[in-house]
Amino acid sequence: MSGLTKKIDFFLLFSVLGLIAMGLVALYSSSHTVMAQGSGTNYFVKQLFWTFLGLTIVAVVYFIPPRWIYQFSYFFYGFSIFLLVLVIFFGRIGYGAARWLRIGPFLLQPSELAKLATILALARYISREDCDLNQLKPFLLAALFPFVPFLLIARQPDLGTAMVFAALTLPMFYWAGLKGVNLTLIIIPFIMIFASFNFYAFLIIMLILLFFMIYSRRSRLLIIFVLLLNIVVGLTTPALWNHLKPYQRNRIIVFLDPESDPKGSGYQIIQSKVAIGSGGLTGKGFMQGSQTQLRFLPEQHTDFIYAVIGEEFGFRGVILGIVLFTIFFVRGIQIAASVKNKYNGIVAIGIVTVLLFQAVINMGMTIGLFPVTGLPLPFLSYGGSAMLTNLLMVGILLNFYRNKYEY
Amino acid sequence: MQFSSLEFKKNVFIVAVFVLFLILAMGFFRIQISRSSIYSRKSRQNSIRMITRMPVRGNIYDRDGRLIVDNRPAFSLYLVPAEVTAHTIQVISRLSGLSEKEIREKLRRSGRFQPVKIIRQVDMQTLTWIQENILDLPGVEWRTEPKRHYTRHSGLAHLLGTLGEVDERELEKFPDLEPGDVVGKKAIERRYDRQLRGRKGVQFVKVDALGRVVEEISGSQNAKPYPGEQLFLTIDLRLQAYADSLMEGKRGALVAIDPRTGDILTLLSKPDYDLSYFTGVVPRDIWNKLLNDPHHPLYDRAYQSSYPPGSTYKLVAAIAALNEHIITPSWTANCPGYFKLGRRIIRCWKPDGHGTQDLVHAIKNSCNVYFYKLGLLIGIDVWHKYSRMFHFGEKTGVELTNENPGLVPSRQWYEKVYGKGKWTRGMLANLAIGQGELLVTPLQMAQFVSILANRGTLVTPHLGLKLFDPITKKVTVIQPRRYRIPGIDSTVYAIVLRGMREVVDGGTGWRAGIYGIPVAGKTGTAQNPHGKSHAWFIGFAPFEHPEIAIAVLVENGGSGGGVAAPIAGAYLKRYFYYQGKYDYSIERILAEQRRKQDSLQVARQQAEADSVRQEN
Repeated sequence: MSGLTKKIDFFLLFSVLGLIAMGLVALYSSSHTVMAQGSGTNYFVKQLFWTFLGLTIVAVVYFIPPRWIYQFSYFFYGFSIFLLVLVIFFGRIGYGAARWLRIGPFLLQPSELAKLATILALARYISREDCDLNQLKPFLLAALFPFVPFLLIARQPDLGTAMVFAALTLPMFYWAGLKGVNLTLIIIPFIMIFASFNFYAFLIIMLILLFFMIYSRRSRLLIIFVLLLNIVVGLTTPALWNHLKPYQRNRIIVFLDPESDPKGSGYQIIQSKVAIGSGGLTGKGFMQGSQTQLRFLPEQHTDFIYAVIGEEFGFRGVILGIVLFTIFFVRGIQIAASVKNKYNGIVAIGIVTVLLFQAVINMGMTIGLFPVTGLPLPFLSYGGSAMLTNLLMVGILLNFYRNKYEY
Repeated sequence: MQFSSLEFKKNVFIVAVFVLFLILAMGFFRIQISRSSIYSRKSRQNSIRMITRMPVRGNIYDRDGRLIVDNRPAFSLYLVPAEVTAHTIQVISRLSGLSEKEIREKLRRSGRFQPVKIIRQVDMQTLTWIQENILDLPGVEWRTEPKRHYTRHSGLAHLLGTLGEVDERELEKFPDLEPGDVVGKKAIERRYDRQLRGRKGVQFVKVDALGRVVEEISGSQNAKPYPGEQLFLTIDLRLQAYADSLMEGKRGALVAIDPRTGDILTLLSKPDYDLSYFTGVVPRDIWNKLLNDPHHPLYDRAYQSSYPPGSTYKLVAAIAALNEHIITPSWTANCPGYFKLGRRIIRCWKPDGHGTQDLVHAIKNSCNVYFYKLGLLIGIDVWHKYSRMFHFGEKTGVELTNENPGLVPSRQWYEKVYGKGKWTRGMLANLAIGQGELLVTPLQMAQFVSILANRGTLVTPHLGLKLFDPITKKVTVIQPRRYRIPGIDSTVYAIVLRGMREVVDGGTGWRAGIYGIPVAGKTGTAQNPHGKSHAWFIGFAPFEHPEIAIAVLVENGGSGGGVAAPIAGAYLKRYFYYQGKYDYSIERILAEQRRKQDSLQVARQQAEADSVRQEN
């Protein structure tokens, strides 16, 4: 038995199962609302099916040699790019974008697959000995891997999902050897965009940057370039903002703060907060949440599934979910640090990053911290492609854990 | 600590995970714990709605409890803006007669999930068709609402009045009314609206995100609607119906009052229309027909239109002259068939003249010349004073809307209109015989003759008899005002009334007579510049202890005695028949007798002729 413990990361596994169970409970409740009964789509049953299929995949992937994963990376990547291109021509439209391919009776969402495929392919490239991400050429070349799917998905248009690809890049680079310093330098201009509206913030960041650059003893050229870049960004951003027409500015404002548009996209956030807030400490009880049962909460089975948890199980339920996620991600990071193989580690970090990004954005959206992006909550939101892909990722993590001494 | 070691990077990631989830947990804490009550309240507000429960409007009955108006269910069609499709709007536009643009405008003005009333009454056939095709018509809802139902299709329209949706002024005045409520707009329905409407109830319900009722919430916060009071009118529906038939095809009015109580037994105006058309949206062709009808059926001739009263008004001059001691009962004047006033000659209706008459005979024969002289004797100021004493020139205060007060000219009025010194005595002479600028309504004439019947007491005419609260069973009797016209001696009435008795007993109004019941009255033939004269008759019966007073007007009917008097007579007969005091079979017997007399007369004449021949 102890031998088994060494082979299976139970913390990881059980936290995932716990999250899946929470998702199924919430789906059951929301499937039984007054109107869902008439609609014929039983999300709960379908999700159950995908879950079992996914768990089978976990079992299968667990036992395969990790080498296969490595060798399959580029092919998998190419295949998912191919599918993404197919979506452009044959995609079924839903929620304002063409995201799905119809395969028989199933709807496949290639963007989900592409997330894993990109992680694998990117990891394979940047784990090479001759790839030094601190040099410009390898950096740009590596960045291509996530950039291509980013473009294809943004075109659907599904900006939220596309952001995931941007988000996974830097952490994986960091894990693969990109120096913290360089990472900071890349991030600062983005921070500058927001800081440029406040003179003091701008000044402080410029000073820190200056001090930092001098201390780092980098080449003069680089120092000047970085400083200039940030000054330019800092000065032009406010000017550009003022040049925007009011309706364009409005669009951005509404995107960042949906509650300023209560009849449009703000409606969803408001209803979500009402649902969660009225759950209080203990929640209203299973299948007793009025916002859920009376369908005031939109997208209950996908984007706002966590609001169902919040309304019916209260703060206690919410914290349970957060704790389970925390356990899962910490275990994932520990796996990434404990494998022998550079590739495995980068893949593990990539998986953690992608799922963490989605989880944080989704939960934050339900309480109004982020705009509505359409990112599903891993293991809870309804969705066959996502569940399968995520469980595939879990299988890979378990596989790496199993083989951490050899690989 | 090596910054580039994996160990360090691992810790960076782990710290990042904790920080991110901590921030999230704080966010959840803030809305679930700190601000929980705010969101609980919003959650309740989301899903609970207050529905108004409409009360049943009170029925209207006649004095004996015969049903005149009650309520029947009708179906109204609503559209929910969030759910309608272009197809639905197209179909509903066709069914309702509203343009698609109008419908979209109505929908736009309402909340997305709030149903908007589009068609006020939809017939069963249309409703059934809609129900059959409901799958193709998303966003359509129907509700049962009560509409007024009338037991008669004519003879009631002006009296009862129509209902309609409340307007802004009414909304301001009555805070318990909401837009879309139906209230009485005219006449009785309006004047008694507050009592008839009842009080609304509330029902709290749970609704889903589309505003559909999911369940009713029971509890003490709900309130049942309180039904409207039942209204009993003073009208006798049988007599109203009979008057309707008597005036069929004519233009005019018939008003009958019980002088003892002021109860209006009949208030009829012809032509009129079927109120049933007005319970919903009036069909356009019907409305246009009514508007464009040259006989103006939408006007009520009993209280909204005013006419010159003609000879019926001579009584006012008579009373004025007697009471002011300007003449005595035995004062006589000669009528040669004409009257010379200045350079003008005005004629009496009898070309040969009536000869010398006293007041009673002048009234009986309705001599114009006598009253010309009388009018000039009493003067405009006295004439005006007595006109106002009998409440001409002002509303009677009956429970109707837009009552016409008529017009009683005065010295000041003439001076204002014609200029000082510009008006003539000829005008005064005209006034004395009820012509000229003088205008009265049939209702005012009925009120006048009631006062005469009472020998000087006015009991204000009213239509409301009593109200009945169906819940508390409380009966509220509507009390009229009763008061004596001051300053007129009873002997004056005695003289004038004797004249009125003579009018029916062998005078111009003989056709209003009834066998066995003494009737008194006055005829009038009011000339008017627009065509044939208006025919008037006013009267009361029985002469001692009168029970009923009547005024009949037939617009452009010609002779008062020839046209209006027989109608009054028929009505009075029917009234006494219902009272059990008149037997129609009398007429058969009388006709028999007459026939016998005639044949006897013929036989006698024949015999005389024969005997004369024989003698020769």
